[in-house]
Amino acid sequence: MFPSGRRLDRSTALFITLLAVGFLIATFDVRSSGDSVTTVIRGGAQTLAAPIQEAIDLVVRPAVGFVDGISNVAGLSDQNERLEGEVRRLEQRLLETSALERRVAELEAINDLAPPEDLATVTARIYSAGASTFDQIRLINRGSDNGIVVGQAVVDEDGLIGRIDLVTKSSARVRLITDPLVSVGVRVQDTNHTGVVTGRGDDLLRLDMFDATEPVREGAVVLTDGSLFPPGIVVGFADETKSADVGFALRVTVDPAAAFSQLDFVKVVVGWSPLDADVEDRDPLVKAPSFTEPRLGGA
Amino acid sequence: MTSGKVIIALGLVVAAVLIQTTVFQHIRPLGYAPALGMLTVIALSRFLDPEQALFVAFTGGFFQDLLSASPLGLWASTFTVVAFIALKVRDREIAGTPAVLLGVFGLTVIGQLTYAVLGTLFGQGIINRPEFIGHVFVPALYNVVLAYPIFWLTKVTVRPPERTWAA
Repeated sequence: MFPSGRRLDRSTALFITLLAVGFLIATFDVRSSGDSVTTVIRGGAQTLAAPIQEAIDLVVRPAVGFVDGISNVAGLSDQNERLEGEVRRLEQRLLETSALERRVAELEAINDLAPPEDLATVTARIYSAGASTFDQIRLINRGSDNGIVVGQAVVDEDGLIGRIDLVTKSSARVRLITDPLVSVGVRVQDTNHTGVVTGRGDDLLRLDMFDATEPVREGAVVLTDGSLFPPGIVVGFADETKSADVGFALRVTVDPAAAFSQLDFVKVVVGWSPLDADVEDRDPLVKAPSFTEPRLGGA
Repeated sequence: MTSGKVIIALGLVVAAVLIQTTVFQHIRPLGYAPALGMLTVIALSRFLDPEQALFVAFTGGFFQDLLSASPLGLWASTFTVVAFIALKVRDREIAGTPAVLLGVFGLTVIGQLTYAVLGTLFGQGIINRPEFIGHVFVPALYNVVLAYPIFWLTKVTVRPPERTWAA
């Protein structure tokens, strides 16, 4: 009963109750971590939905590829122009990079930061995206049965894609590096200065550097530094030339190396352990990476 | 009859969410996808009894929560809010296709904003994203485009009584 004496109708009462339940569930989910009941429920739902999603994906993929191609025709001209400019710029840069490569190789040898060419990987196909336009996730058709565990890096031929944050026996969820909750320790190849790349929720990344004594040049390659992801994976390219205005702190926009809208197959780096890395993560859903922890959906 | 209608309605929302996660991972004009699950909830709120519509919205939203990256309960709450508002406006003296399409657009915007606010409150940092406005309004436009087939589908599957707020 309202103070005015008007009785709450049944649908309004149900609405308030459901809203309260929703808030309680969300609070519980945020507060819990690791193998909590909500993580298990989510993994179970993912396991149940995966075969249906894979079937739908297989059926509609050719058709949507055709439709997608048509819808992208308008943007192809601009893209072509942009790529031509990119090729010219890269040709110029190629001349400059040989000296830099030698320098980087020496630094990598000193710091024991070998590129991850020899790391074991598991190839997986992406069959689903997030359920809303806000989500920066992809689901892949390989899981704990294939040696995948939470925390592993996911790459494609272009560079870093993201990080495994939920695993079932036959599928896994990848949180893309464009997600604002994902941060990647990086270094700029030109200068070897380190920083942190964070997702912005759109197609670009944000690079924060705290000891930038040299400017970051447009097109500079940004690589993982080996703190949480294997070292030497290309994350992206600096979008602008910028130097620190005050002190040595610098913020630069980075163009991701990977084309997230065209992801199809990816590789999960299973042959590198982040056990020694700082596993603190801002996302409560993301468990500390470990090769020994119990796996969701496992026996 | 009642439980059968609710089960069918739930099936529609689940199917919409599954299509959202598969088909619309490829088709994303301008980088955005429609909010198909929300559109189905809006359409079902036109045809179901109030309690049924709220239950279907909450359960369907919870299913979307399970397949998304945000904390559980956020989409459930969002869909419930959208269904509740849709229930409140459906019996008003508004009729005709433009009114329905405007309603779909407005309800989707309200839903996206509600989720953004809830998501931000629960640590997802949605509101300060650079393309936040696009994430709110572009899916609403796509929902308008998809409204007619979804309204037709819900109409033929849950067999509604006559309403003034019809497509």
